[in-house]
Amino acid sequence: MSAVETTPPPVDLGKRWRITSRMAGVAVAASLSMLLSGVGLPPLVSRIILLVGLIVLAAALLKGKYRKFFSGPSAYVATASLLLLVVLAIFATELSPQNPYDLRQLDIMDGRLPPGSTTFDGSMTFHLGTDEQGRDILSGILYGLRVSLSVSIAATLAAMAIGVVVGIYSAWAGGRIETILMRIVDFQLSFPSILVALMLMAAFGRGLDKIVIALIIVQWAYYARTVRGTALSETRKEYIDAARGLGLPDWRIVFGHLLPNCIPPLIVISTVQVANTIVLESSLSFLGVGVPITQPSLGLLIANGYGYMLSGQYWMSMYPGVALLAIVASINMVGDRLRDTLNPRLTR
Amino acid sequence: MSSPVFRGLTVAALAALPALPLAAQDLRIGFASEPSSADPHFHNVGPNNQLRRNVFESLVGTDEAQQLTPLLAESWEPVGDTRWQFNLRDDVTFSDGSPFDAYDVVYTVCRIPGVPDSPSLFTTYTGGITDLEVIDPHTLIVHSAEPYPLMPTEFSTFGIISARANGVDGAAIEFSPEGCGDLNYPATQAFNDGSIAIGTGPFLLESFRRGEGIELVRNPDYWGEAAPWEKVTMLPLTSEGPRVAALIAGDVDLIENPPLQDLERLRADDTMRVVQGISNRVIYIHLDHEQEPSPMITGTDGANPLKDIRVREALTIAVNRDAIVERIMGGVAVSAGELLPPGMFGAHDEGDLPPRSFDAERATALLTEAGYPEGFGITIGTPNDRYINDAQVAQAVAQMWARIGIETEIDASTASTFFSRRNAFEFSAYLAGWGAGTGEMSSPLRALLATRNPDLGLGGTNRGQYSNPEMDAVLVEALRTVDDTARQELLRKASRMAMDDYAIIPLHYEVTPWAMRAGLDYTPRADQYTLPYLIRPVE
Repeated sequence: MSAVETTPPPVDLGKRWRITSRMAGVAVAASLSMLLSGVGLPPLVSRIILLVGLIVLAAALLKGKYRKFFSGPSAYVATASLLLLVVLAIFATELSPQNPYDLRQLDIMDGRLPPGSTTFDGSMTFHLGTDEQGRDILSGILYGLRVSLSVSIAATLAAMAIGVVVGIYSAWAGGRIETILMRIVDFQLSFPSILVALMLMAAFGRGLDKIVIALIIVQWAYYARTVRGTALSETRKEYIDAARGLGLPDWRIVFGHLLPNCIPPLIVISTVQVANTIVLESSLSFLGVGVPITQPSLGLLIANGYGYMLSGQYWMSMYPGVALLAIVASINMVGDRLRDTLNPRLTR
Repeated sequence: MSSPVFRGLTVAALAALPALPLAAQDLRIGFASEPSSADPHFHNVGPNNQLRRNVFESLVGTDEAQQLTPLLAESWEPVGDTRWQFNLRDDVTFSDGSPFDAYDVVYTVCRIPGVPDSPSLFTTYTGGITDLEVIDPHTLIVHSAEPYPLMPTEFSTFGIISARANGVDGAAIEFSPEGCGDLNYPATQAFNDGSIAIGTGPFLLESFRRGEGIELVRNPDYWGEAAPWEKVTMLPLTSEGPRVAALIAGDVDLIENPPLQDLERLRADDTMRVVQGISNRVIYIHLDHEQEPSPMITGTDGANPLKDIRVREALTIAVNRDAIVERIMGGVAVSAGELLPPGMFGAHDEGDLPPRSFDAERATALLTEAGYPEGFGITIGTPNDRYINDAQVAQAVAQMWARIGIETEIDASTASTFFSRRNAFEFSAYLAGWGAGTGEMSSPLRALLATRNPDLGLGGTNRGQYSNPEMDAVLVEALRTVDDTARQELLRKASRMAMDDYAIIPLHYEVTPWAMRAGLDYTPRADQYTLPYLIRPVE
């Protein structure tokens, strides 16, 4: 048993999958950059490529472990609902009856209409009602999902990148550098993240870019700590000694051997962290320091309707709340399944 | 449980319950913000001034529309250009039994500049007094360096305390604006613990406990009409939800500022009464008249389009005020055509200067004429926790501007952040409010539109840096005119000049609601004060 554990857990997909997953990664990156910059392929095509790329990446991640992953009905439900919500978020523009961020499409005369109402001229039905600005709640939720998901995924990826660099570097370098870096991490982790994020947002002002930066700052330390732990135990394993024995340069050992073997625990935490980040972003927006008020995310939609809860106009807060609950719950459940699937130590 | 005696008692208790508050003449009020002190001169801020009026009266009173009424002074009149004579009542005693006279006024004005640790002094109102001349104990002449038409208004803002109760012989005081020598003044703490809370008002201060509440009892020797309540308890209920819940549960009899979204439900309830009245606070959007390029304006190659009157007119008439009032403010606001509502001093009569009517087509045409057929980009700065639905109103304006082709964004932040950024001129357009403390047009014109001149106290809040020398001239003349009729005409003229220049975009006047149990009545006040002695029981 111990012999098995000291050999490197092979992150080997087989050649065909390796190529496929790399292609998918490139496709995701390319379609995202086209969507963000607004040049290149039509947005709809980019979105389809993005979705397919994400599905391929997920499949590559779980290759050979499908059975383990889908070991109960909750896994199916969570995966299906996560997939649905991701599809809704990606295709929000195509699916929404209204662009809730375009002030020209809103009319305060349509404000606070109950679910099922239509606009004055009957051109559009508000299936989930409207908020006080006349914003269609359904469209608001779809766009809000997109904001929440993209902000938290972007923040998570960036925080992970920073955390990985700091964690691996301190594990590899050791000594004083490790001590200094890890004390910084300790210092950072000793503050509640919502408090730090609130202070940062109060200083930065509102804006999507600013909220991403604030979320990165409050999160990188988690990854640094985790990666350092994993990297420390990995560096003591024989395959690293073997690589050293072969005379490979440090950077090749770190990036070619050490890093890939630190990935599985990272994937697990980052999944759960995405859900936490969504909650954090929503809390900040709810408290009025997050996204711009003309571009509401789920948290801001909830905040907008919050004052009307007692007066019976429940739909403004409730439906965005349900959407937030659904996305966070399904990500967490998928994250749980991923942990059970990818973390060999938890195998029963 | 089923014993007949118990049942009988329960029934008796239930029957007695609704009658109890009336029988005992007790009144419980849930108020929205708490006074910082019971000292009438400690902190010049709404909640303190509201409490002060119950215990410490001023020489001049103000009615619901902030018009001046006699109080401790029976009458007043200008004597020459720089003097005002106040004729004081001779039948007033303080709650310790000592008589009230002109020396108490001198003593009070002497104390005001020297209150220790005061966050905001009342010298704003007394600073213009150069001398106080006591002709006889009930005749006082107030001197100023300049003609001072607002002197009676200033004397409505601070309460009078007793010289005798503090061991001072009023007749011996040498008044001087720099200080009246070494007199014994009460400490702020002595007001808070009730030991020196001696005034002439309809109530006596029974207890003042921060965070817990304030108790007032009726002044048995009050010179005027006795208050209808034996005892008044004022509870600080600063969050909207709990405040309205306390009213519905019957824990309090009346609340200030019930949340707009609950008004409909309260109105529909037979056991509740809602009253509302227009306030002296206007919500406006101020525009940058000075900076070029102006911050956060895009698509104009660095030019400041707001310097063009056609653009300002377009922005003004693109706003559908009635829609904002109806949809965002729930009908609890009144569309504004200038900076002070009709009926107040210096404001135009109803219909004389009506709100600019909404005309999106003309607005678009004006923009084209001004050379912006494609519009431009602008950001409205707004607080999100200062005025009723402030950020929502800004968003609605953004919608309306977007319709005429002006790409509008909203920069909403918490009040402290917003005001410091605004004061640093970081906005090209910002939403804010102004309450006319003096109840007359000079207050908003002077603060918001007069050319900035800190030395003269002009343009202090003119963060759009509007400057119109012709209007300034009319306004300054008004500020020096003692004759009320002439002053009113000058103020109206100045206001119309500013409005014709589209200097600022008035949106609406806030309306202040009060909610109470049926069986009470309260006349809404423009100064937004909740004054227990004016709350009446009705059948």
